[in-house]
Amino acid sequence: MKAPQPIYRIENLVHRYNGDPVLAVDHLDIEPASIMGLVGPNGSGKSTLLKLMAFIFRPTHGRILFDGKPALPFDESVRFQVTLLTQDPYLMKRTAFKNIAYGLKVRGNREDWTRPVNDALAMVGLDPDIFSRRQWDELSGGEAQRVALAARLVLKPRVLLLDEPTASVDAASSELIRTASLRARSEWGTTLVIASHDRQWLYDVCDEVIHLFKGKPTGTGSSNMVFGPWVPEENGLFAKPLGDGIRFTVSKPPNADATAFIDPAAIRIIDSAEASALANIVFVDGTVSRIASEKQSGNLFADVRVGSLTLVVRVDESHLAAMTLHRGWPVTLAYRPDSIRWL
Amino acid sequence: MDFILAGFVEAIRLLLGGDGQTWSAVAATLKASSGSMAASLTLGIPLGFALGYLDFPAKRQVRLLVDTALALPTVFIGLVVYAFISNRGPLGEMGLLFTLTGIAIGQTILALPVVIALSATAVESMDRHLRTLLISLGASRRQLLFSSLWEVRYGVLAAGLTAYGRVMTEVGISMMVGGNIKWHTRTITTAIALETGKGMFSTGIALGLVLIAIAFGVNVCLSFLRNK
Repeated sequence: MKAPQPIYRIENLVHRYNGDPVLAVDHLDIEPASIMGLVGPNGSGKSTLLKLMAFIFRPTHGRILFDGKPALPFDESVRFQVTLLTQDPYLMKRTAFKNIAYGLKVRGNREDWTRPVNDALAMVGLDPDIFSRRQWDELSGGEAQRVALAARLVLKPRVLLLDEPTASVDAASSELIRTASLRARSEWGTTLVIASHDRQWLYDVCDEVIHLFKGKPTGTGSSNMVFGPWVPEENGLFAKPLGDGIRFTVSKPPNADATAFIDPAAIRIIDSAEASALANIVFVDGTVSRIASEKQSGNLFADVRVGSLTLVVRVDESHLAAMTLHRGWPVTLAYRPDSIRWL
Repeated sequence: MDFILAGFVEAIRLLLGGDGQTWSAVAATLKASSGSMAASLTLGIPLGFALGYLDFPAKRQVRLLVDTALALPTVFIGLVVYAFISNRGPLGEMGLLFTLTGIAIGQTILALPVVIALSATAVESMDRHLRTLLISLGASRRQLLFSSLWEVRYGVLAAGLTAYGRVMTEVGISMMVGGNIKWHTRTITTAIALETGKGMFSTGIALGLVLIAIAFGVNVCLSFLRNK
């Protein structure tokens, strides 16, 4: 059977701001009706990638194929297909109704907009009777972001790009935004691409999670990134102080500010008694803060708080049963310093 | 002090009694300023948008020129326009000297830098997220332009209002290019200057009141639009 054509294909994409490279993606396919997550620290290129995928501007180099055809900003083939919700709840200086109806208006839709606008408002948990007549400056941050999402949902888009949609809203608005976004996929088969710092949410809902670092994809699935600076230790190793005398120890980094990348599968949770019997292994104590499964792989992962750092650790189920891990449980982590990759 | 008070009383009588000379000056002012405002807004808003929105070589130099033109003295504009449309000037054959059209041309030159500079400032202050928002909701290039302008409408209105204030209150252009001809090119400001020189305070005050009333009316309209 022929594989479905990807809705997006990114080829040799490079983008520069004022000559400085900020994004370089050699190849990326996104399947229709899938949910893809983007994680990475600030400045890793997530927002730039989403804006390029929303065809807000042209890439410096390379191309983005939409439905198999190269597309550029304002092309008719993408103008009414893709929409982007940014982190800041930005609305035009008009009522919530007019903000939501704007996309219908530019599509030349001459029907009565009341019903679709009210449905979109209800979808994001806002009462249409109260909120549709509110001016843009009469909404709280969370309400404004939900109106902004309603302005996208009313279009029933083929692709909904979300750039940290819950970063600047409270927990209640955050939950409503997440639920409404996922409904777009389940009701209309919308393809979702979500950039977020909430890795656990992404691992829960995404078919694939891509890590971006310094503008480049560094891998998929759960991962740990630990930033420098690194200070030398007496034994030839280096470490990052994490507070309370706790240190994250690594092999020699390529430079003092390098970023360490360690696979969750390379870290083990062990019994304290077991620790003394292992050679060439580094141990560090932490506390379990969450245990969850990754949708993409089905594996179980534990978030372990180590000083000021949270490490994701892969847990096999037999191990989980034997150690009765749960939230708040103190554990000892073990890993080989040479299992660290440097970025 | 009595002559000032008597002037006010006489001014009210002139206005309410439909004094021909007074209302002729009001009509001339409104005709010339309407023409100049129509021209300066038609040219100035797109140019101001381009100056504030687009990046192009020498943008800073163009901005500097426009800002400098904000301070153009009306008598200098009057002199230049006079030179161009007088019989010896390159546009002399068009017969524009001592006409309301001639005054409107001069006032357009006066108002244009104001509209361009203040519109450009309004566009520059536009939120950087607006472009992303409009494109991501499916706006075409044309819709992007008009929706962006609509978002900065208050700034553009303020630009128009400021320019209108300069046009309504200038004397130099109207005097030099229009010639202050009774029943023809005598405007409110040139009439006030003339009547004051003649010691006829009542007509001057009457015309001054009309000028203030027009300014008040324009601001009321703008305030109404702003609240809509």
